[in-house]
Amino acid sequence: MPDTDAPKLLDFIVDRTHAGIFVVNRDMEIVLWNQFMEVHSGRKAQQLLGKNLFDEFPELPRKWLARKVENVFILKNFSFTSWEQRPYLFKFPHNRPVTGGVDCMRQDCTLMPVKNAAGEVEYVCFTLFDVTDTSIYQQKLKALTQELREVGNRDGLTQLFNRRYIEESLGKEFNRARRYGQPLTVILTDIDHFKQVNDTHGHLAGDEVLRIIARRLQDSLRDTDILGRYGGEEFLIVLPNTGTSGGKVLAERLRHAIESEPVSFGDTSLSVTISLGITELRKDSHDYEQLIGEADQALYQAKEGGRNRAIVFRPDDPAS
Amino acid sequence: MAVPLTVVDDSKISRKMVIRALPPGWDVEITQAENGEEALAAYRAGKADVMFLDLTMPVMDGYEVLEQLQKESLNTFVVVISADIQPEAQERVKKLGAMAFIKKPVKTENIVAVLEEYGLL
Amino acid sequence: MSIQPYTEDQADALQEVANIAMGQAGDSLARILDNFVTLSVPRIRQIEVKELADTVTAMVGEEDVSAVRQAFYNALRGEAIVIFTQSGADELAELLGYDCELDAAIEQELLLEVGNLLVGAILNGISDTLGTELGFSAPSLMAEHTPLRQVLAPDRLTWEQALLVEVNFSVEKHRFKSHLLMFMTEETIETLRHILDDFMDGL
Repeated sequence: MPDTDAPKLLDFIVDRTHAGIFVVNRDMEIVLWNQFMEVHSGRKAQQLLGKNLFDEFPELPRKWLARKVENVFILKNFSFTSWEQRPYLFKFPHNRPVTGGVDCMRQDCTLMPVKNAAGEVEYVCFTLFDVTDTSIYQQKLKALTQELREVGNRDGLTQLFNRRYIEESLGKEFNRARRYGQPLTVILTDIDHFKQVNDTHGHLAGDEVLRIIARRLQDSLRDTDILGRYGGEEFLIVLPNTGTSGGKVLAERLRHAIESEPVSFGDTSLSVTISLGITELRKDSHDYEQLIGEADQALYQAKEGGRNRAIVFRPDDPAS
Repeated sequence: MAVPLTVVDDSKISRKMVIRALPPGWDVEITQAENGEEALAAYRAGKADVMFLDLTMPVMDGYEVLEQLQKESLNTFVVVISADIQPEAQERVKKLGAMAFIKKPVKTENIVAVLEEYGLL
Repeated sequence: MSIQPYTEDQADALQEVANIAMGQAGDSLARILDNFVTLSVPRIRQIEVKELADTVTAMVGEEDVSAVRQAFYNALRGEAIVIFTQSGADELAELLGYDCELDAAIEQELLLEVGNLLVGAILNGISDTLGTELGFSAPSLMAEHTPLRQVLAPDRLTWEQALLVEVNFSVEKHRFKSHLLMFMTEETIETLRHILDDFMDGL
């Protein structure tokens, strides 16, 4: 290839490349406007050269952009914008009018200093990339990741939160309650004689009972309460902003919700009850594990006391 | 007669850069100091009619040198040489008695300009 | 690959070049932000990546941070990480000419913008003095409100040895504070050694 063709080639490529390229001087006058910009803006270079960018495109975020361009002149440094924070610089239509799901072209933008022989910045060159496709994939990926994370926090059988997640939530609530001096109550509950259900009716029946109980517990709670499956037939409930008196009322409501209606599956109908242990955050509680331990002790007392009851943990109780 | 000049900077490279940038025709006898204490010692030994002084140094920094010179009303021509070129920094050293401020990296023409302004060249 | 530490002269030259760059960066940033800007004297160390978290924690403290990363390339190749401890995003927004409501996306954009300003100002300063030129990738967000140790966990960083250039940046009277870490690959540490030698020979 003869050397002399290179500049012509460069001109051609700059004009026809699949990215927007335009150049402004320090007065924000347009000195170059390539074909991509022409096609998408509907404005010809001929009409725009020598004109002020902001006069011609008053919808641009002027104050911010002028500042950004000025900074390139001062710092002689590249500058960037990303669709993730600022979806677009120019509101252009995109090439996925049917399958897109976004309103206009997503753009990544680079501002490049163009220096003269003396090393001073004379122009700023904008390169504008259409990243609509990327943005659509990324959004899908984000939704999927979110979904996966959700799945990762759930117990497969009951669809309640799993043990890891409920403990994590309790840990957070514990810290928050202590920092702001708010009450926090924890209930640990266990299905009475669950082993018999499994032994008599089989594991599939046992699973069904777990699912039904889980749903009933969930339906009896407030939006702010957090319920999770803690172990085999054990459930942990975190009650932010609630003391033991409120916790006791709620526990009784849960106990009643399970006791009052038999659990039915197939042709079988079973009476099921639960026992509950309740405790609350005190000044001397040192970690959330302690709360679980206390709720477990109270639950043990409820079982010892004949089951189908809710017991509040007493720190000064010699029995505990 | 050669002018006794002390170049104060903790960086050997930096002192070298300053010395390299001295105007060729300027007749000086150069002493190098690595910190403020050495600079004051050089002054007391009569080796610092002119002092090129860096600001950030261990042991005793440039600001302390300027304060000490002021306190003892010592008479030397101090040119601060610093990378921190914000106007506030320049203001501060001038208040402390520095005659001039030259930014790093030091260029011969900047030194010449200062020396000519005060008739030292 | 194990790397010879820089000689005393090379380290001295690098420190001086970094000081000069910092002065210029401080001046440019002050002009842009129209405020007195404090840039610390850069601390330069060659460290193993596994020591990194401890080293940086010692300086920044055990708080949650946000971080922006940006690659630079050409004669020198590496990545810079800017760690923001206090964002003071609302005030920065004002200083940088944002006239819209602050939301999560704008806050992110601000971090990217300031990260880019700092990295560019400082690295261009260094490359100018050394007579080289650098290119930069677009900055991206590494972490938001994340424990520092997690951001700098060795399994997230693929280099074994790094040249750490640490600069603290704050703007007078504003709640804004950040730290810049610059990592260069083993190869670049060697390249820089030659550039420094040439630079000293030229003196």
